[in-house]
Amino acid sequence: MLKPAEKAYFQALAALKDKDYETAAEQFEKAAPFFEQNEEFGILRKTTRLLVAVTEELRKLEKEESLNIEESFSHG
Amino acid sequence: MSHPESLKKLQQTLESFLERAVGQKEQRLSVLEDINRLDNIARNELGDTTGEAVGEWFARHNQQLEQGDLRPGDIDRIGRILHEIKDGFNRNAGSPEGRKIASEIDRWEEAAQRSRRSVTLKRGPESKKPEDDSISLFGKTLARASGLFLEMSAGRKHLLSVLGESLKSAEIQKNREALLLSAFIIYYLKSGGYKVEPYVKRLREAERLQKEASSYA
Repeated sequence: MLKPAEKAYFQALAALKDKDYETAAEQFEKAAPFFEQNEEFGILRKTTRLLVAVTEELRKLEKEESLNIEESFSHG
Repeated sequence: MSHPESLKKLQQTLESFLERAVGQKEQRLSVLEDINRLDNIARNELGDTTGEAVGEWFARHNQQLEQGDLRPGDIDRIGRILHEIKDGFNRNAGSPEGRKIASEIDRWEEAAQRSRRSVTLKRGPESKKPEDDSISLFGKTLARASGLFLEMSAGRKHLLSVLGESLKSAEIQKNREALLLSAFIIYYLKSGGYKVEPYVKRLREAERLQKEASSYA
C-alpha cells in the first residue's frame, strides 16, 4: 500500500484540483516530514499555506466589518 | 490600496498560481488519482467488492502502461499495491474471482517488466542522439537512483532500512535502479566497516532474478 506520506501528498494534489485549499494545506503538512526536500512540494505547500492564511485573515476582516456596521446601526 | 484590498489581490494571485500549477500537471494528477484509487481498493475501503473494483481498475488502466504514461516510481507503487492485493486474494484462495484477479495481476507485472526493458532499449547505444552517450546515460541513471534514495529514505532512521527497502524493490519489482542503488549503499557501508555479507547475498539473488526476467524478453 502507499506510504501515509505518499497518500497525503496525492490527496493534497487532488484537493488543490478541487480548490479545497484548507484540505490541501492539511494534507501537505502530513506529507511534509517526508517530502520537504522536494522543491515542487515545497512551493505548493508554502503557497497553499499562505493562501489559507490570507483567506482566514480576509474572513476575520469581513467579520469585524460586519460587527462595526451592526454597532453603528444599534447606536443610531 | 487598503489592507483588505491588498489581501484580496494577494489571494487572487495565489489562487491563480495554484490553478496554473495544477493545470500544468493535469495528466500527472490523473495518474496519481488512479494510484490513490487503487490504494483505496487495497485498503479494502470498498468492502466485499474488492475483486470487482480491481477488475474495473484493470479494465480502465491497462492502457496506461502500454502508452508509457507511467514513471518508474509509479510502476513501483502500483506494483507494490497490486502485490498486496494479490497476497490478500492468496490468503483467501479458492474463489474463481480471486484466481482471475491474481492472474490479471501477474500479467500486469510481466507487462511492467517489459515496459522497463523497453525503456532501457530505447536509451541504448544504438541511439545516435549526442545526449545518449555513456556519460549522459550514467548521469540519468544516477539521477533516478538518487530520486529513488530520497523516496525510500523518507522517514527512515538508518541507512540499513533504506538498503532493505531498495533490495526488496530490486527483488520483487525487478527495479534496475534499485539494484544499482543497493550495490552503492552496500559498498558505502562496507567501506565504513559494516558487515554486509547477508546484503551481498540478497543483491546477488536480486541480480539473478533480474537477469532471469530479462531472458524472457
